[in-house]
Amino acid sequence: MSTRERALSAINKPAPYGPDIDLSKYRLDEPGVEEASELDSTVLNAASRVGLESTGLAYVQSNERALYTAMAKALEKYSVLVLPTREALTRKPHARSLAWKLLDPASDKYTAYAYLYGGELGYFIYVPPGIRVPIPIYTCLAITTNNTIQFTHNIVYVDEGAEAHLVTGCAIPHGVKDGVHIGISEFYVARNARLTFTMLHAWAEGLHVRPRTVVSVEEGGEYVSYYVTYSPVASIQTYPVVYLGRNARAYLASIIASSGRGVYDIGSKAVLEGPGSSAESISRVVARDESLVYTRAELEALESDTRGHIECLGLLLSPSAAISSIPIITSRKQGAILSHEAAIGLIADRELDYLMSRGFTEEEAKAVLVRGFMNIDAPIPTSIKKQVDYILDLVAKHAVG
Amino acid sequence: MPLLELIGLSVCVDNKRIVEDASLSLNSGEVHVIMGPNGSGKSTLLSAIMGLRNARVCGGSILFNGLDITNTPSYERAKLGIALAHQSPPEIKGVRLRDVASAMAKKYGCSDCTLLAKNLFVEPFMNRSLFVGFSGGERKKTELFLVMLQDPKLAMLDEPDSGVDVESIEVIARVIESLRSRGTGVILVTHTGAITEKLSRIDKVHVLIDGRIAYTGSPDVVLPVVFKFGFRKGLEVLSRGV
Repeated sequence: MSTRERALSAINKPAPYGPDIDLSKYRLDEPGVEEASELDSTVLNAASRVGLESTGLAYVQSNERALYTAMAKALEKYSVLVLPTREALTRKPHARSLAWKLLDPASDKYTAYAYLYGGELGYFIYVPPGIRVPIPIYTCLAITTNNTIQFTHNIVYVDEGAEAHLVTGCAIPHGVKDGVHIGISEFYVARNARLTFTMLHAWAEGLHVRPRTVVSVEEGGEYVSYYVTYSPVASIQTYPVVYLGRNARAYLASIIASSGRGVYDIGSKAVLEGPGSSAESISRVVARDESLVYTRAELEALESDTRGHIECLGLLLSPSAAISSIPIITSRKQGAILSHEAAIGLIADRELDYLMSRGFTEEEAKAVLVRGFMNIDAPIPTSIKKQVDYILDLVAKHAVG
Repeated sequence: MPLLELIGLSVCVDNKRIVEDASLSLNSGEVHVIMGPNGSGKSTLLSAIMGLRNARVCGGSILFNGLDITNTPSYERAKLGIALAHQSPPEIKGVRLRDVASAMAKKYGCSDCTLLAKNLFVEPFMNRSLFVGFSGGERKKTELFLVMLQDPKLAMLDEPDSGVDVESIEVIARVIESLRSRGTGVILVTHTGAITEKLSRIDKVHVLIDGRIAYTGSPDVVLPVVFKFGFRKGLEVLSRGV
């Protein structure tokens, strides 16, 4: 059976987790690629919600339009190639050899739709061997119209000994109410290379979001993922899988501030395939209103001398919200050390009282505590940390209303 | 008008009366010491004056600069100029001292908080989570630092001399002297009395036993008796008249 036929056979296959979405209710726009000297205000509005500025963006996708930007050209001086995936698949055989290799189009209906109707928009980024890109590579995926499905297929290859920091903001401007975002990401981290990937999400109450991500980290490589979502959403379901070779490392952090009546089903899995590999999965959840959050974290050790740890902490800010933490650790070899800890609680009265005695109102004190709760020492560059801090400040304010 | 006036104040914790019918009056620039055995209600009394929610006023009233603040929330009291150095502040993971200090500096208009941090030797732990893994001395100095940031009219220090080394006691005494010299009223709760020897002036000493202010007098009279006989026997001696 050809890949296309397999994808067709999966067109109605629901995902194992998350609410099932009837994709036929949404409009499929004609995908296109164009060069943009300036971005329109709706895209800029969306980008600003995740702290991105127009001048620094290497790739922008608005609905089903992929836009080249000047920054993509500027990155050429570091020998970094940034292209819309569609262009890359036409012009670069290397890109073709990487597409749909980590992720099976027949995984579920979302991958099948992306394969069949996505038009291969998204970004392709290649960082040559030994290149340490000194500036973050910023990309932005925006939905600016109602009732549409946005597809994106992102392929990143960080070659041997290279290092890159990628920041992707996914957002919609204020005023857009519904739609679906399906993001396919295949990331390759070659031997002794390092990729940090910061993903910032700001959606809206009617949006369904289905990112599908697989990462391959070769010997001695390192992958750091830092994911923040802070807006209401109809539903989001993601479960990225990271395969780690010999002595490879992964650090997977998720900060989830849920609200409204959204369902947030956010997980990750690290497969410790190579001896000496290790993974850490950290999540912080702040749930309010009537939101429902599932944090799934899975570690699977296939080799001895591997290490893994899961830490899921949740804070309930509303009596109608709920958090479920579901850690899974599986060891298939003696000598692997895997652990997990999970705790869900309320803001401690004693801490609240203490800050109030220092002159903070109850709301201010709660915001300080929520902001502190979300502080994790993720190994991300200072420049990105500054941006993340800005977003987390927003998250803290948003979380306490 | 006194800076602080307690009129027949009773304080309940979990519906249990811990402080009973306490009255005292303190003027600006005065230093009052409250002493008493373990569990006598010293910290509960300060918590009630600060307005902490676990210490509920169940009788009497609290006046600050003539204003009845008995039912005023703690953050409003802080804004009015009341500050408390907590005996055992909670560990708050993820909230850095620097962030809290900087938010407070904005609130209270502190212009030289860097210098203040340097003078109180708290600079090395500004980037650490509040009180997480702090030693006893670090906790006390941090509490004093935050109290000083508030530039209070009334500073209440709950056992600042417990569990700290001699050098730290010197630092704490200097802070109290500095507060007094700028007209701040100070209530100092001490269990051991170690700090009292370092202070140039104390205006009154209150002995709190079983939730009641059992004796109030001058330090020259009260302190030698308490140090010699302890609280309960000392109270008998004081009551007979020294």
